[in-house]
Amino acid sequence: MRDSTPTDMPTTNRPANAGCSVNDDTSRLDGPAKVSGRAKYGRDMYLKDALYIGFVRCPYGAAVLKSADTDAAKAVPGVVEVDVDAGRQGKYHGHKLGQVVAESPLAVKRALRALKCQWDKKPVKTGIADTVTELPEPSAKTAEHFKSAELTLEAVYTTPVQPHSCLETHGGAVEWTDEKAIAYASTQGTSAARDGLDQHLDRPQSEIEVVCEYIGGGFGSKLGGPGKELQAAASAAGKHKRSAYMFDTRSEDQTDTGMRPSSQTLARVAFKKDGTILGGEIRTWGGVGIAGGGGGCHVPSGRYRLGIRKGRDGHTDVSFNGGGPMPARAPSFPQGAFAEELMIDEIAAMCDMDPLTLKKKLASEDVYREMMDMGAKMIGWHDRRPTGSQKGVVRIGYGLGTASWHGVGPGGSAEVAIHPDGSVEARSGTQDPGTGTRTVLGISAASGLGVPLSVVTVRIGHSNLPRGPGSGGSQVTGTIAPTMMNAAEHAKEQLLTIVARAAGAGDSVKEFDVKDGVITRNGKPHLDWKQACQKLPPEGIVAKNHGEIDPGEGNNQGVQFVKLSVDSETGVVRPLHVVAIQSCGRVIFRKGAESQIIGSVIQGMSNALFERQVFDRNIGTVLNDNLEAYKILGPYDMPRIEPVLWTQGQTGVRGIGEPPIVATSGAVACAIFNAVGRPVRDLPMTPDRILAAMAAPAKGGAHS
Amino acid sequence: MNRFALAQPRSFAEAATVLADKRFSLPVLKGGGIDLVDHIKEGLTEPDVVVNIRRVRMDGVAPGSASITENNGTIQIEATTTLTDIVDSPLIRERAPVLAQAMEHAASLQVRNVATLAGNLLQRPRCWYYRHSQTECLKKGGSRCFAVEGENKYHAIFGDGPCHIVHPSNMAPALTVCQGVVHTTGSAKREIPLSELYHMPDKGVHSENNLQPGEIVTHITCTTAPKSGFYAVKEKQSFDWPLVTAYVVLEIEGTRITSARVCAGAVAPIPWVLPNVGAALRGVSVDDDGGLRKACAVAVEGAKPMSDNAYKLRLLPVAIRRAVLIAAGRPEETEVAS
Repeated sequence: MRDSTPTDMPTTNRPANAGCSVNDDTSRLDGPAKVSGRAKYGRDMYLKDALYIGFVRCPYGAAVLKSADTDAAKAVPGVVEVDVDAGRQGKYHGHKLGQVVAESPLAVKRALRALKCQWDKKPVKTGIADTVTELPEPSAKTAEHFKSAELTLEAVYTTPVQPHSCLETHGGAVEWTDEKAIAYASTQGTSAARDGLDQHLDRPQSEIEVVCEYIGGGFGSKLGGPGKELQAAASAAGKHKRSAYMFDTRSEDQTDTGMRPSSQTLARVAFKKDGTILGGEIRTWGGVGIAGGGGGCHVPSGRYRLGIRKGRDGHTDVSFNGGGPMPARAPSFPQGAFAEELMIDEIAAMCDMDPLTLKKKLASEDVYREMMDMGAKMIGWHDRRPTGSQKGVVRIGYGLGTASWHGVGPGGSAEVAIHPDGSVEARSGTQDPGTGTRTVLGISAASGLGVPLSVVTVRIGHSNLPRGPGSGGSQVTGTIAPTMMNAAEHAKEQLLTIVARAAGAGDSVKEFDVKDGVITRNGKPHLDWKQACQKLPPEGIVAKNHGEIDPGEGNNQGVQFVKLSVDSETGVVRPLHVVAIQSCGRVIFRKGAESQIIGSVIQGMSNALFERQVFDRNIGTVLNDNLEAYKILGPYDMPRIEPVLWTQGQTGVRGIGEPPIVATSGAVACAIFNAVGRPVRDLPMTPDRILAAMAAPAKGGAHS
Repeated sequence: MNRFALAQPRSFAEAATVLADKRFSLPVLKGGGIDLVDHIKEGLTEPDVVVNIRRVRMDGVAPGSASITENNGTIQIEATTTLTDIVDSPLIRERAPVLAQAMEHAASLQVRNVATLAGNLLQRPRCWYYRHSQTECLKKGGSRCFAVEGENKYHAIFGDGPCHIVHPSNMAPALTVCQGVVHTTGSAKREIPLSELYHMPDKGVHSENNLQPGEIVTHITCTTAPKSGFYAVKEKQSFDWPLVTAYVVLEIEGTRITSARVCAGAVAPIPWVLPNVGAALRGVSVDDDGGLRKACAVAVEGAKPMSDNAYKLRLLPVAIRRAVLIAAGRPEETEVAS
């Protein structure tokens, strides 16, 4: 990647501020394989003569296993192994306490039922509020501000536990042969998934391969080394010297594969009637299930100059009887943004100010102000009515939210091979969890070489390939695209050196270049690509890059505007229009980048309106451990989503997987507040909560 | 899942023979199979024979003939008619629109294409305690209803328990206001008014309907109801179970309502007939917003909300009023263009 703004790239047909991308027209390379069913996921790997594994799991929030009929389970035809003992303690619904191994999935299911587990249920806690029953007293300084300020706001904002709800459940299948063991993993880290597998398989690393050609979603929950499902499959394979398979059921996936932790934010803010913030405090809590930590709530975000700090002891993680956290698409950021954006809008309403005016005033960087101006025009902000001023049945709300994400450093390895027949391979051991990585790598290689994408075959998702980055932290495109492009440029230089020598111009390699698959000399066609490649030695050319390329400067910023309607008699929200502006540096794969934004908005909108893990408050069982009662946006719920790739003044490459989800739920909360005149401070903002907020008496200043 | 035999009868009489066969201890009829497969997967039912009547027609009908007919003001719909066929039927849309409206956005298109009318009427409740294999609730032989002290946001606001499900069928209340009658064969040959098809939980929690073992629904008849309307309040507009539904059949002279039959769904363990609202609506003009609101407000008389579902008290009168306006041909505009 050159460090100057490319000028010869096509401009997108998106709004004027959206910049240029390396490739505007390409669709996902793996699209046809995925929609036709040709793509084989790990979960599809039903291997010959494989063993199947099922976990014995606690069905309650807290319970001791009183008894399990292991003899009956062992007597089920096909059962190979039963490992569970009475006395084991379950600490959340889904907690793994044992397992059965059998010759078929059906035998596993029958054995688990034959156990007829009896449980001694214990009292449970199912959320932050079960532990944090009182709010801390305000600090002396805050109390002082509250005494003297013209206006004050004290509010508590909460977000619930949200499982990642990947369409492909977590797991792995291990193919056992005399020569090697191949683990078909559903993982966001193909290279990392091999780490430690040797011990589970009891085979040397040299005999172990991890394959992950396709993944049905991860969102952070499939990061890290081999998960407990793949570990179990590997252990069974190693022990019995046979292939083995363990993938979670839907219920298991919803309860024991990591969550976005719940959160609670307490904001106490003292301010003047003109919106000037005088001081106050913000404290946050994270609900981390059975884990001791790993929660977070990123507020204050730094995107606004609030003059309020959280302080060192400002965040507390709270345990309860639920599954532990895993990184979830922008960990801790959306929770904090929901609280921060709605808090500022509440302040604006109390000051009789347009929240856009206040947010522009408070924004910490000019780029937010510029994005706000652009988005306001696109959403039609001038049609917005003052908060709480509408009296009709159906009320229209407008809201905006902001997003930020950190940049990435160099990392990941990639190589490009040019074969004598002119075909090209772009190789990296990273993976594509639906993010478009495969296509990004193809475009990067083709662009670095100067050839059409159709010449390039992308090889990813295999541990034998150069070690690639895990699909987390929005780091993949930022690290591996420049790396791949650089490897391709090196390959091109080698090819051109050979071509120049063959033309008797070994000293004038600089006269040669590749453009659109044609070798040029001094800008004029010299040889076509295939003819040039015929001059290569039989082994062709392989050029590598080990992540020496810095992807470029800075952080990501984003602003989203939401327009929606609220039926004031039913509380039903209909999302109408979302404008999502997102910076991401130089765009490699435009459709993929836009798709990431659209997907983020859909997920963020689901977080805002529907998603919530429902625990029974008495027994701790997750009641919506399925995709029927755990609700996400469906086709009729979709707003019109306009993604805008903001590339002004940016030259580096940055990931876009996480940043666009940060702003959405806060923007939705602000829009609902604008429509109905009362803040709904708890996610998800369902009709019952909206009706309850509307019925609550107005507090504080001029809300209407 | 245990092994089961699959019977493919060609007639309801053949199906009845299988149901009566003493070699089987738990025969189950399968229409579209939507609810049955859910039950088998969750381990809630373990049939030893599944009797597939998905393609069985009434005796004497010509193959390929319409499964929805009208004769002298009586509509007849065969039991195995799919929900999509009901939604798409010009006859239904014109003569009893409430039936089509009730199904139009139910479940998903894929489900509606295979789910049958009788299956919809006889599906089991969606209560998340009943559906969860790990909770021994009343319906499954346990000793208590977990919803009482637990998560009851989607449960009933009417009835004295001991079980607090809401009836899941959208068709049942729609057919109730159309004075539907269920016709059966098999172990009993009966004509059961829709209003008598279901019972409250105090009359038994293990089943929601009054059919006898071995009794098979062959078809349903109902009156025409050209001025009829349906309204559902749903959290999510795609593939979601409604929070509250309302079904109305009107007779109108000029703008004045002279007769109204009203039923509500998702608020009680059975389709909840509201004669008090029907009486209150009589004489009210459909142009009289205040009068309509006042009449619909009586819908919540006698309601006993649980800890988390009092919001349904707000929704029910709204849903009924909107259904009245739809029945009267002047729907309230609640959709906004983006």
